[in-house]
Amino acid sequence: MENDGKRRAFLKVLGLGSVSLGTAGYSVVMEAEKAEKKPHYGMIFDQNKCVGCTDCEVACRKVNAVPEGQVRLYVENKTDPETPMEKKYVRVSCQQCEEAPCVAVCPSKACHRDAKTGIVSMNPDDCIACKYCIVACPYDVRFINHKTKAAENCNFCLNTNLAKGKEPACVEACKYKALVFGDLNDEASYINQILHVKDSVRMKPTFGTKPSLRYIPVVKVGV
Amino acid sequence: MNGAINFTYGFSHGVEWGWPIAVYLLLAGISGGALIVALLVRFYKKQHEDTPLLKAASLVSFVTIAFGMVFLVGDLEKPLYFWKILINYNFTSVMSIGVMAISIYIPLTLVMCLYLFEKEISMVLAKKSQLLDYFALVMGILRKFRPLIEVLSVVFAVVICAYTGFLISVLVRFPILNTAILPALFVVSGLSAGTASASMVATWFFKEDAHSSDMKTLHVIEWPIMAVEMMLIAMLFVSLLVGNEFQQTTTVAFQSGVYANLFWFGVMGVGFGLPLVLNFALGKHVAHSKMAFYLSGMASVTGVLCLRMFIIYAGQTFGV
Ligand code: SF4
Ligand code: SF4
Ligand code: SF4
Repeated sequence: MENDGKRRAFLKVLGLGSVSLGTAGYSVVMEAEKAEKKPHYGMIFDQNKCVGCTDCEVACRKVNAVPEGQVRLYVENKTDPETPMEKKYVRVSCQQCEEAPCVAVCPSKACHRDAKTGIVSMNPDDCIACKYCIVACPYDVRFINHKTKAAENCNFCLNTNLAKGKEPACVEACKYKALVFGDLNDEASYINQILHVKDSVRMKPTFGTKPSLRYIPVVKVGV
Repeated sequence: MNGAINFTYGFSHGVEWGWPIAVYLLLAGISGGALIVALLVRFYKKQHEDTPLLKAASLVSFVTIAFGMVFLVGDLEKPLYFWKILINYNFTSVMSIGVMAISIYIPLTLVMCLYLFEKEISMVLAKKSQLLDYFALVMGILRKFRPLIEVLSVVFAVVICAYTGFLISVLVRFPILNTAILPALFVVSGLSAGTASASMVATWFFKEDAHSSDMKTLHVIEWPIMAVEMMLIAMLFVSLLVGNEFQQTTTVAFQSGVYANLFWFGVMGVGFGLPLVLNFALGKHVAHSKMAFYLSGMASVTGVLCLRMFIIYAGQTFGV
C-alpha cells in the first residue's frame, strides 16, 4: 500500500516534468484547468423587453412551491407617474451576490453557497429562523417561508428546474425574452454575448456585494 | 446605488427583529455592565472581602444573561433548533461568535455566584450532608482559580456588551445601525444600566448602606458614564446628519414620529433628565432620600431600554 503511494507520487513528479517540457503536456494542463473552473451563474433582466405580465412570478411560485402570499421573485412597477405611457418594470429577487452577506452572517450555515454551482441557496433543515440573513441582505429579498419555517431566496431554481437540466422557471415562462440565464464564466455563453454588446448595471454596487444579476435599463436617447 | 434602474420593494415586513431582541440587548448590557463595574471597583480598591456590591453584581449578571437567552432563543421561529448553531459553527457570523462568547460567559457568571453565595448555598445543602461534601470539594478547587476567573469575567463581560453592538452594526442596509459608534455606545450604556441595577439590588437585598464607600464610588462614576453616553449618541446623530443622502434621511427618526418621542421622552427625558433632576435640581434632602435613589436607578435602566428599543426599531425602519 505504502509502496503504491510512493510510486504514484513518483509518477506525478515525472508527469509534471514532462508537462513543463513538452507541448503535448500543455494541452493536458489546459484540460485540467477547464475541468476545475467552476460555473458562475448569472441572469440578465432587460427592462426594455419586460411588459410586466408577471408570468415569471406565477411560474416561480408554482415550480418552487412558494406559499400563498409569498414570493421569491416580484415584478415591481416603476413607471414614472409623470410619464404614465412609458411603462417601466423591475425584477426584484435575490441578486446572487459573489460576496453574499447572508452567507457570511448565517450562524448555522443554512444559508450557504452550493459547492457545485456556486449558487447561494438554502438548507431549510439547518435554518433556525433567526432572520439574521434577512436583515443582513442589502437588497431585502429574503423571507421566512411560512410552510418550511426557513429563510428562502431565489436560487435560480437550483433544486427544481436546474436539477432537471432546465432553465429557471421565470426564464422559461417569459414570452418576451426579458430574462436570460447562463454561465458568466463561459465566454461562449449567450448571456456573455449579450453582456458584450449591451450596457448593463448591477443593483446597489456600492455595497460591494458583487451581484450576479445584471439589469439592462431603459435609456432614452434624444429624438 | 445607480440612478438608471432601481427597485424599492422588499420582502421583509418592517421591523424583522423586534422588541424581544431589544430586551435581550438590554439584559446582556446590564449583565456585562454590572459585572464590569463591580469587579473594577474591587480591583481598584484592592478589596478581598465579599462586598454586597459584588454579591449583587454577580447575581444580577447571571440572572439577566440567563433571562436574556430566553428572549433571544424565544424570538427564533424554530427555537428547538438552537443547537444547530453549535454544530454548524460559522466563523464569519457575529451571532456564532457571540454564542460562543456567551457559552463561556454564562459559566463564568455562575462561578462568580458560587463564590459569592458559598455560605448561603452550603446552608441550603446542610440537610443533605453528602451533597454538602461534594459542594465543599468543588469549591475547594474553584477557590484556587478565583483571581483568574475574576479577570476573565471582566474581559468576557466587555466582549458580551460589545458583541451585541457588532451584531447589529454589520447590517449595512440600515444607516443608523451600520456605524462604528454602536458597539461603543452599547458598552457604555450597558455600564450605566449595570451600575444602576447592581446598586439597587445591593441596597435592597443585601442591606448595603446607601451611603457606604462603594455606593459613593458608584454615585461618582455614574455621571461621567452618562456624559460619555450622551456624547456617543450626539456623535451618532451628527455622523448621520453630515453623511450621505441615505444617512441624512434617517435623521427624521430623531425629529418626528413615534420613534422621536421614544428617543426624546424615553432616552433623554427618563434616562438622563430624571436622574439629573432628582440628584441635583431638588436639593440635598431629595437627593439623599431612598425614594430618589431607587427612582433614579429605575429611570436609568428604563432609559437604556428605550435606547435599545429606539436603535432596534428606528434603525430597521429607515433602510437604504
Ligand atoms: S441578494 Fe441578498 S439573499 Fe441574495 S445573495 Fe445577496 S445578500 Fe444573499
Ligand atoms: S434565518 Fe436561517 S438562513 Fe437566515 S441566518 Fe438565520 S439560520 Fe441562517
Ligand atoms: S415574464 Fe417576462 S415580461 Fe413578464 S413580467 Fe416577467 S420578466 Fe417581465
